[in-house]
Amino acid sequence: MTETPAEAAVVVESLVARAGRTALSQVSLAWTAGAHAILGARDDGGPLLLSALAGRVRARSGEVRVLGENPRHPRVRRQVGYVPLDATLPDALRVDEALAVASELRQEPVQDAGARLGTLGLDALARRPVRSLLASEARAIALAEALTSTQVRVILVEEPFAVMDARAAGRLAERLRARAEAGAVVLVATASVGDAGDVADDHVLLRRGTLVRRGASQDVLAGFWLDGNNARLRIVLKGADDARALAGALARQADVVGIERLVGAVCARGRDAAALARAAGRAAIEAGVDVAELRFDPPSLDEAQARPSPAMGASGA
Amino acid sequence: MMAALARLPVGRLAAGVAAWIAIGAWTLLALSVAAMARSRGAAHGADLVLIDTVGALVIPLLAYGLVGAALGGRSLSASGASLVAFGAAPARAAAATIAVAAGACAAAGALIAAAVALVAHGAADPAPLGDALVSAYAGALGGAAYGCWFALGASFGRRGGGRFLFLLVDWGLGAAGAAAVVTPRGHLRNLFGGEAPDHLSGRASSVALIGIACLCALVGTRRCRT
Repeated sequence: MTETPAEAAVVVESLVARAGRTALSQVSLAWTAGAHAILGARDDGGPLLLSALAGRVRARSGEVRVLGENPRHPRVRRQVGYVPLDATLPDALRVDEALAVASELRQEPVQDAGARLGTLGLDALARRPVRSLLASEARAIALAEALTSTQVRVILVEEPFAVMDARAAGRLAERLRARAEAGAVVLVATASVGDAGDVADDHVLLRRGTLVRRGASQDVLAGFWLDGNNARLRIVLKGADDARALAGALARQADVVGIERLVGAVCARGRDAAALARAAGRAAIEAGVDVAELRFDPPSLDEAQARPSPAMGASGA
Repeated sequence: MMAALARLPVGRLAAGVAAWIAIGAWTLLALSVAAMARSRGAAHGADLVLIDTVGALVIPLLAYGLVGAALGGRSLSASGASLVAFGAAPARAAAATIAVAAGACAAAGALIAAAVALVAHGAADPAPLGDALVSAYAGALGGAAYGCWFALGASFGRRGGGRFLFLLVDWGLGAAGAAAVVTPRGHLRNLFGGEAPDHLSGRASSVALIGIACLCALVGTRRCRT
């Protein structure tokens, strides 16, 4: 993300757009190369913003520029990889044929399909007819195409981990980040704060079509964990039967305000993340249980949207 | 570029069972009627079958089925969505689909018309070879015009349901009278030797079919720009 639209590869200025019941209202943003997240529920406008950047939705007012031009320009289209939730592939072809067609349309050399698909662990699908693919496989292949294209400089992905082949999901965050480090603009729209943190270095938060916050993902997540906003600590235990004992010990800790017992784990809530972690340690010793993992859960989207912004309160690049 | 865009509709036609069933069924019907006309010894057997069966029924319905198969049962714009995702311009993807559909309809129309002219040839019909060539020309023009006509129809409706509306319009307006001038049906009937719409010559009907094909292709393409 950048504060200077002139340097940015992807720019929206005072964008007003509508599709169905979803609308964007006077949104101004600019992104340079890197991995970025647009955080919000579907109706908040993230997918709509990606559609506008891909040239699929016309702006009612305002401006959209991708790589310095209108996103509908043929040169821009060839350099944008857009993977919505309902991504489709050419249905009458095999996967390798579809990738060859994609290379021809993007005006780049045809690469070995197996190698391209291998980037997400999908090489076994190379000879499969597209018609026989699951929706999750087709979406993963569309993403592999965008990731391995030599022309694509902007990758737009809606909910990267939803409707996603399990083989691809395991490698996706790493591949998207690698592509961003290689100079591409990677933009993901997601309703998951956790997914946004996994994939992107910064995020903008949309609510009902309006930009409500922007900042570095880790700063925002850390803010939730450290500044008294319902920190949630997941304590995964080595012994599946230890959860009851640990929950009992946690209940006696003053810094713990809520406990949820799960299978093989206990989830504790507190106002201060550091105090919560110390309380968990004391409780584990008191209960005599072995802890396998301590993990802070990211805030929910509702919590993220409701929290006052330290970085900004209004839209604007 | 256009070759890459054409691979999808060509693949749909080549691999689609529906397309081959449509071609087989309508060819069988046309040839059966042609064989019956020959067995009855009709003097103008070829003319009768070409006008009443091939022009009125077989070519329109065959084109209807082939266009549907080339579009994969979707609307014109949705049929190329997967190519647009790879960077193709939507209008170009639509143009390639229309071209493939029109080409397939033209080829099928020409072959069926020529075969019927040969099989149903009667004593009062022109020389068989010449008649077959003229019939193939008319069948190709009619098929191409119908291909573009139905492709434009498929640009209406979320799933291309406008294609059926265009079939009804063709049947309703093209049956007779001056209104038949705007439909492929009236001009194809004229080229096969039937009643001319608004007393147009055969040459004028040829030009009109080309005009209908070009206009429908142009409007259909423009409707898919986004």
